[in-house]
Amino acid sequence: MSTLLKVMLLGLLSMSAYAEEAKLEKIEVATDKPALARGAEDWMNNCHSCHTMKYVKYRDLLNLGIDKAKVDGWRGEASLDTPVIAQMSEADDMATFARVPPDLSLMAQARDGGPNYMYSYLIGYYLKPDGTAGNHVFPETKMPDPLGISSASDAAQRSEIKKTAGSITSFLTWAADPHAGERTKLGNYVMVYLVLLSGLLYLVKKQIWSRLK
Amino acid sequence: MSGPIINWIDKRFPLTSFVKHELTDYPTPRNLSYWWNFGFLAGIVLVMQVATGIFLAMHYKADASLAFDSIQHIMREVNYGWLLRYMHAVGASAFFFVIFVHMARTLYYGSFRAPRELLWWTGQGLLLMLMATAFMGYLLPWGQMSFWGATVITNLFKVTPFIGDDIVIWLRGDYSVGDDTLTRFFSLHYLFPFLIIGAVIVHLVALHTVKSSNPSGIDLKAKDNIPFHPYFTAKDLYGLGIFLIVYSVFVFFMPNSLIEPANNVPANPMVTPNHIVPEWYFLPFYAILRSVPNMFGGVVAMALAVMMFAFMPFLDRSRIPGGARYRPIYRIQFYLFLLDMLVLGYVGYKPPTNPSIVVVGQVATFCYFASFFVVPFVSKMEESWLIKRGLPQGIMELMEREKRDLEERKQEHRRRKGDTV
Repeated sequence: MSTLLKVMLLGLLSMSAYAEEAKLEKIEVATDKPALARGAEDWMNNCHSCHTMKYVKYRDLLNLGIDKAKVDGWRGEASLDTPVIAQMSEADDMATFARVPPDLSLMAQARDGGPNYMYSYLIGYYLKPDGTAGNHVFPETKMPDPLGISSASDAAQRSEIKKTAGSITSFLTWAADPHAGERTKLGNYVMVYLVLLSGLLYLVKKQIWSRLK
Repeated sequence: MSGPIINWIDKRFPLTSFVKHELTDYPTPRNLSYWWNFGFLAGIVLVMQVATGIFLAMHYKADASLAFDSIQHIMREVNYGWLLRYMHAVGASAFFFVIFVHMARTLYYGSFRAPRELLWWTGQGLLLMLMATAFMGYLLPWGQMSFWGATVITNLFKVTPFIGDDIVIWLRGDYSVGDDTLTRFFSLHYLFPFLIIGAVIVHLVALHTVKSSNPSGIDLKAKDNIPFHPYFTAKDLYGLGIFLIVYSVFVFFMPNSLIEPANNVPANPMVTPNHIVPEWYFLPFYAILRSVPNMFGGVVAMALAVMMFAFMPFLDRSRIPGGARYRPIYRIQFYLFLLDMLVLGYVGYKPPTNPSIVVVGQVATFCYFASFFVVPFVSKMEESWLIKRGLPQGIMELMEREKRDLEERKQEHRRRKGDTV
């Protein structure tokens, strides 16, 4: 029945060959605490005015290891146990953009391509001939170019903006699945345990079956 | 087993004799390969799903305005809630994977043949219940794909003659999928696993009546049977270890690979996703549904596609035992069928906007049903070809014995009829 396995594997390969329409930039998502703290800061500076993260509380940021003084600065009067709500009110959003900007708690997992999509979207702005900014990844977007990459022509400036986009993406990837680090760490122990257990069970099986003539 | 407590119990309940009859003395063919592990694995996955599900239900809120938030509460605030949820979500896929392999093994080795028809049909019933449970469970996270998947599938009942529209409203509890749908799906999603456990017991009673088939297809002599315990408990536990390794890779390292990104967006009746796809295990059947241009025809085709397996004991007319092992043509048919399932799965995954995909889907749907309908003719022709070519001694003997038995039974029947007339 090894043919069966081969047939199944071939099928799986053909499934993964199906890719998204727009070509996405690949990004290595950072998971270390300093990078996430930098990402949180970039997010607060560039996104917090309009976007909410209703499943993330200020205390979660504190637990992530971000400086208490910084978190206090971001939350202002709000308690540590309130979610991170956008600074702009929804009424103002409606007046300015005719829609409420989406919640970003799960955004890193809510689009095909995940973090790659998010990163490519943030750096996907370009100047159209009429002088307004368009986006390669999401042409219908209502969001004005948040990091200003469409008007940046200097190479150093562009790479700085890409770095910011990357760190925001890393932060939002953490926000979408805050236990991912704990999960993979536990997963490593579980794998070692299961491999050892299976090895022992194989020996038990062999031992028991050796009684048969 | 002995001792005063066991003796006390044995006078009141057949504990020792039960363990003896079903485990330590239960005869199992010694030549069973690892493909026979998957029934046991399905049982374990069922237990894991029930266990994780019960704990998830303690934290989940079956309310359209709270459901999505409560999943995030489980993922972020409940101790090891992420583990429970990922185990349950991956477990659903694992369940279908294990069941599909279990069914493929049955088809490959012809284990559905007499006298195991009832075993196969109870399994078919279990598959239907599993599909219903998975479908209802998928609504509970209340994401976009949950909502629109449930909308599309409940809408299919519209094709019921005369009362179609009423049935759809009755199923949903409302004119569209909403809070009433969510609460009833939650209630039934909690009920069905226990019905499945009941049906599994019936499945096992049938199994222990007719005993396991084996790769040779011939009922083995007593000396080739070994007790289930400890031999197959040991073999099944080793298989379980391997299964858990694969399962844990998904749970711990790639749990989101099986969750559609769109389901991380809360359900919104005003926005239809670009492309509504079911979970991978429904894709072949979804492709068949879409391949028939007429909605009524599509629903009938899809329902038939799931039920076709039940007809196999009637369709397979070859008297050669052992399924594909001794039957090269049946083996080719088996692999072509698997290939067709994969093609259908691919078609179900792609949006139907591409006309060539639609044509591929229609051809694959035709092949799906054709591969069942040709079985009676091909199996008969293959049988006479193989007999002419020569079969192993044991198999010829078995076939002759079965033929003799059948003749005798027919004569017996005729004699009795003659007596009464």
